[in-house]
Amino acid sequence: MNFDLSKGLEWAYRDMLTFFPENVSTFGAQLDSIFALIYWFSVATFFLTYGLLVIFMVKYRYNEHRKAYYFHGNNLMEFTWTLLPTIFFVGLGLWSDGAWSKTKYASRVPKPDVEIDVLGYQSGFGWQFRYAGPDGVFGNKDREQITIANPFGIDSNDIHGKDDFVIISPGGTRPIPIHLPVNKNILVNLSSNDVLHSFFLPNFRVKQDALPGQWIKVWFNGSKIGTYELACAELCGSGHYNMRGQVFIDSQADYDKWLDEQYKISKPVLEAPVSSDTTIVASADTKDSKTTKN
Amino acid sequence: MQTAVANANEIHGHDTHHGADHAHHELSFIRKYIFSTDHKVIAKQFMAVSLFFLFVGGLFALMIRWQIAYPGSAIPLIGNILPNSWVSDGAVTANFYTQLLTLHGTVMIFYVIIPLAVGMFGNFCIPLMIGTDDMALPRLNMFSFWLVPPAGLIMLSGFFYDSGTAAAGWTGYPPLGPTSGPGQTTWLVSLFMIGFSSIMGGTNYMATVLNKRAKGLQLLQMPLTVWALFITAILITLGTPVLAAAIAMQICDQYLHTGFFMPDNLLVTAPDNTYVTNAFIAQGNQLLEHKQLLGGGGQPILWQHMFWFYSHPAVYIMILPGMGIVSDVLSTFARKPIYGYKAMIFAIMAIAFLGFIVWGHHMFQSGMNPLLGTTFMLSTILIAVPSAIKVFNWLGTIWKGNIRFTAANMNALAFIATFIIGGLSGVFMASAPVDIYIHDTYFIVAHIHYVLFGGALFAIFAGIYYWFPKMYGKMLNENLGRKHFYWSFVFFNLTFYPMHILGVGGHMRRIYNPYIYEFLQPLQPMNQFVTFAAIILGFSQLILVVNILWSLKYGKAAPRNPWQSNSIEWSAPAHPGHGNFDTDIVVYRGPYEYSVPGRESDFYPQTEPPSENEVPVHSGH
Repeated sequence: MNFDLSKGLEWAYRDMLTFFPENVSTFGAQLDSIFALIYWFSVATFFLTYGLLVIFMVKYRYNEHRKAYYFHGNNLMEFTWTLLPTIFFVGLGLWSDGAWSKTKYASRVPKPDVEIDVLGYQSGFGWQFRYAGPDGVFGNKDREQITIANPFGIDSNDIHGKDDFVIISPGGTRPIPIHLPVNKNILVNLSSNDVLHSFFLPNFRVKQDALPGQWIKVWFNGSKIGTYELACAELCGSGHYNMRGQVFIDSQADYDKWLDEQYKISKPVLEAPVSSDTTIVASADTKDSKTTKN
Repeated sequence: MQTAVANANEIHGHDTHHGADHAHHELSFIRKYIFSTDHKVIAKQFMAVSLFFLFVGGLFALMIRWQIAYPGSAIPLIGNILPNSWVSDGAVTANFYTQLLTLHGTVMIFYVIIPLAVGMFGNFCIPLMIGTDDMALPRLNMFSFWLVPPAGLIMLSGFFYDSGTAAAGWTGYPPLGPTSGPGQTTWLVSLFMIGFSSIMGGTNYMATVLNKRAKGLQLLQMPLTVWALFITAILITLGTPVLAAAIAMQICDQYLHTGFFMPDNLLVTAPDNTYVTNAFIAQGNQLLEHKQLLGGGGQPILWQHMFWFYSHPAVYIMILPGMGIVSDVLSTFARKPIYGYKAMIFAIMAIAFLGFIVWGHHMFQSGMNPLLGTTFMLSTILIAVPSAIKVFNWLGTIWKGNIRFTAANMNALAFIATFIIGGLSGVFMASAPVDIYIHDTYFIVAHIHYVLFGGALFAIFAGIYYWFPKMYGKMLNENLGRKHFYWSFVFFNLTFYPMHILGVGGHMRRIYNPYIYEFLQPLQPMNQFVTFAAIILGFSQLILVVNILWSLKYGKAAPRNPWQSNSIEWSAPAHPGHGNFDTDIVVYRGPYEYSVPGRESDFYPQTEPPSENEVPVHSGH
């Protein structure tokens, strides 16, 4: 019972906006500023409406010698409080759309400096990442060739796929981190082979569901070197909570070094032995997962 | 021949003024209290069943909360008596946790709020408030209630499968839903049944409001409760069949290997091949076989479209009756006409219409084409406009009123207070770029609870305190009522307000153990605070139960019109029997003629004939 009342009191006085995790993506500040605008609008509306509510409740409390004012309403007032919110909210919608189209429209994804493929997986609960290898080009994907050892279904007939390497990171407290370079446009091709997952990078203000049967483009640009957490935000089974991943944002030199080492360590998928005693590590809480239930 | 005579007597009993008891003495106990066609008895049945489920759902919530505050530690009191398939060392398992959160959402929405707001108040209020003897279709009404208890039992029975009950969230998204075993099937079947109950109720309400209004009662003289329930009935009748279709499709995906929602070549961990269409069957780390069954080629997002096409209007199905109830309670206790009666009706209609074209805002991050996100964002944001109209009109109603702080009115005022916060937090997630970050976090959880607990449930409490005298012929204890209100209101806010902050901190929903994540570890004290507030909030509801049981036995006998209210139900006897009214009901004016100048009393019932030299009052400005 490590309940800390003083912290609770301190938090009661803290501005909600200060609870955001640090933003390290290029478009994050714009999203946060829309949040802040709505926040301050809400604070103002809150004090206006609650002020009126409390004043009326006190001033017009029951008094048997007084009669209420017989009044059915006023169309000018109705018109006013219809028009003013409409103007504000349409404005908010249009302003929001700028940020929305910039971050999400497929047609506005900037030219990527680094491209990776990402899958969320359910049997053990974790993430699978594919890097293109030294040739910088991904091999074709063939859905028919998906196996546990080759979750991306890299086509064995495609020369570009020979050097692709895959990092399979279990969830939990010790995931296998991936590295990405700082100040570069990162393009993630996101999908899943089993159920829905959601690729959530809190510090980058990135969230996108992974949809089986479809590849979705997600982009971001990290502006600060450091270690950040990756989470799953869509219920994907009993181990959903455990789908923690780790992302290192490196300087370009460190990233290149890591990429080189990683390519040597992790055998390209297509050269790996076919037996399925592979890297899907069930370090997640399989005791509770459905797999043991039959 | 004898039956015909009996029927004639019965009909005669309705029409004459001898009181309903007289005409119905021949009804057996079962026909009168169990398989009753009396709308008031059915309303009480809905109330009893839904309040039972309120406590079931609340218990689920507290078990969830305990796990989030103290992951892995035994639940106090009950932890060690629960079966081992649910808990290990007294703490809920991850699998049971996902079942709990699934059932908490499902039970609270489909077995508590909708049956209370629509089933109970719809049944009780509509015939009485439009001055008629019963629903247009009483037997259909009875059937609509009697689908609920079996549906509820089926829903709870899922817990007794070895693999547990449904664990795909109250949204049941495929592919997780169809691949997660027999518990999902009981969940689907149960929802299918309760959906039919809703559809029957909805058609019945529409038929009743349109066909059975008392003499002289025009549509624009109906109380806002009836208007809200009428519009709600339209929403139910248009929306629920889509959910029913989606459910049928998911059942087909499970058992008939159709592929509505299932794409090709899934790599699924399934307890039994039966539940997998066109998939690789994997078990643990082993790839067992590559199954190529019929089906596949489907689209998981289709379910989300169909589900939310119903479930977004469902939010308004839950809140609109509350808005109507609050309008009537507020006007009665402020002794003042509702401000902007027609504007209120238009706002209800606007909310209902917009409610059907905004479902995509639940799917901004789902992989739906982001172009659609833009459209849905604009339509969603516009819902704030009619909501704002309603809030300002409620404020206008108490302005220059003469406000009586009864337990009913306090709950109604609390509804406004929490609806303002719930409405404002809705603006955040309506903005699609802001939603990127807060989607599927506790910010959403805070919002939905501000709207459904703070909004719908406080309005339901207001309605219970307000109509209890007419329902049971006994007054509720005001003192206990106020205590219940204060405890609920304070601890409601202490429970759910901090969830906004958790959400801003990035705390995801449906997380069994948040502290795996470093960025969530500092939030544990706040989670513990929320949990303690939630426990007190849960136990405060016992005051309501005690109040109801105590008042039924020892409560003061209710007078005919305890609140000096205008609407038609208060012209019925204090505890009306089958057939409702003991006088001929003729309606002369709208329901909001409070504090009319020149009258001695500050109310003017809809059924009171105007005095001879009076200019007829024009209602509904």
